[in-house]
Amino acid sequence: MKPVPDNDSAPFWEGLKQGRLLIQRCPSTGRYQWYPRGHSIHDPSATPEWVEAKGTGELFSFTVIHRGNTRRPPYNCAMVRLDEGVIMLSSLRGIDEADMRIGLKLRVDFEPLDEETALPVFRPV
Amino acid sequence: MPGIRNKAAIVGLHESPLRDAPGIHPFRIMMDSILAALDDAGLHLKDVDGLCIASGDWAEGGAVESVTEFADYAGITPTWFNGTDVGGCSYLVHAGHAAAAIATGMAEVVVIAYAACPRWWPLTTPSFDPFVLPAGPGQYELPYDPTLISAYALMAQRHMADYGTTPAQLAEIAVTFRRHAAENPQAKMRSPLSVEDVLGSTLIASPLRRLDCCLVTDGGGAIVMTSAERARDLRRRPVLLSGFGAAVRRTQISQIPEDLSTPAVISGQRAFAMAGLGPADIDVAQLYDAFTITPLLALEDLGFCPRGEGGAFVSDGNLGIGGALPCNTDGGGMSSNHPGKRGLLALIEGARQLRGDGPGVQVEGAQTALIHGLGGTFCASSTAILTV
Repeated sequence: MKPVPDNDSAPFWEGLKQGRLLIQRCPSTGRYQWYPRGHSIHDPSATPEWVEAKGTGELFSFTVIHRGNTRRPPYNCAMVRLDEGVIMLSSLRGIDEADMRIGLKLRVDFEPLDEETALPVFRPV
Repeated sequence: MPGIRNKAAIVGLHESPLRDAPGIHPFRIMMDSILAALDDAGLHLKDVDGLCIASGDWAEGGAVESVTEFADYAGITPTWFNGTDVGGCSYLVHAGHAAAAIATGMAEVVVIAYAACPRWWPLTTPSFDPFVLPAGPGQYELPYDPTLISAYALMAQRHMADYGTTPAQLAEIAVTFRRHAAENPQAKMRSPLSVEDVLGSTLIASPLRRLDCCLVTDGGGAIVMTSAERARDLRRRPVLLSGFGAAVRRTQISQIPEDLSTPAVISGQRAFAMAGLGPADIDVAQLYDAFTITPLLALEDLGFCPRGEGGAFVSDGNLGIGGALPCNTDGGGMSSNHPGKRGLLALIEGARQLRGDGPGVQVEGAQTALIHGLGGTFCASSTAILTV
């Protein structure tokens, strides 16, 4: 499903086109947040700043969807815990279902969703 | 925190026996259920001044402003109403809010009704469901096409890795509820079910299989609430709302806490505190069972077992009749009925157990019932404690 970007998210989607994974950090507490918002969930009076994530993390959980009503199964959804401490929903590439293990070390990759949009996905390191 | 403890009572109830209702609009099922529940109470439609429904989701018959649509259909003019929709537990939330309205004199007789007909519903209802809106918070997740079951599957997978919970333990939940459904003539699925059946069923979203999932049926029901004082003069033994709690927290999968805790921790604590009771005091429970992992996490979050020990708890026979916590005595959403937002049907069965007139298995002499629901993918929680 094609995302609908907005003012909060424009830097994130622009970054992906340039091969950069941008997330937000709270200038007041130094803590990170995912997903992008206009305020810091750690200190609502602070305006979050954009920073480039290292792009590495580990597999928090995964599911392989065998029956679904959108794209043709099987495909996987993965919760990835970035080294910055936030969890993103994403998808794994370059790995068989039998090799998926919680705790697996991962690195971000960028995959075109269409001509205008890139999507972050993750591959085993 | 006594709050609204024992201020209001469930005085009438009705669960539609329908499981397949081709051509019957959900509003008809709600209205029939309301009239039957009022008759059960010894009250009449003209006595009703409060209405709670949330019928704007798929196959529920209404649109976003369904409260007015249904008042129109029913031909009533309620002066207190609540259309809060936080998914499957909405009707437990309604019961708590109705009790507060009754306690403060805002309403005297409140009906809470629910129905849906997903088995024949022909329309793709325009929906504001956050799970289908790839804008705002949903824009970061919808491109990966997570299905509703995905969030449950992701939490089940992680629970297995963290605590050693097994697919066979999850299957025990479905098997136990099917055993209860076998005694309920209204239940959709009554044939015996084994752990092997569950483990051999089609994989939907790993690690969850088809028989880890609730049913999709048509159906509905209604309850009537009024003050504890007025309840004493009515036809049925009053079932008091002694404890109530609710909490909402997240929608997006990315916001699931690393310890897998859900807002049930909060709603449960608040309900127990209001009732002045604890988990050991509960005689029978109705726990929302969208998927097998759902009641397992509720057992941990509500304090019926320590975190991580849900698997052992459910496989030790605790959820059956004669167990420590007989659960989903009508067969639940996995085997009796699940039109989509089952919280009201769980509330009805909880009250029936205390009245001693459940349609299937009965916990003899039960005096306390806990009903717990969730909405979305553990996004909302509501817990009600009933007593007689």
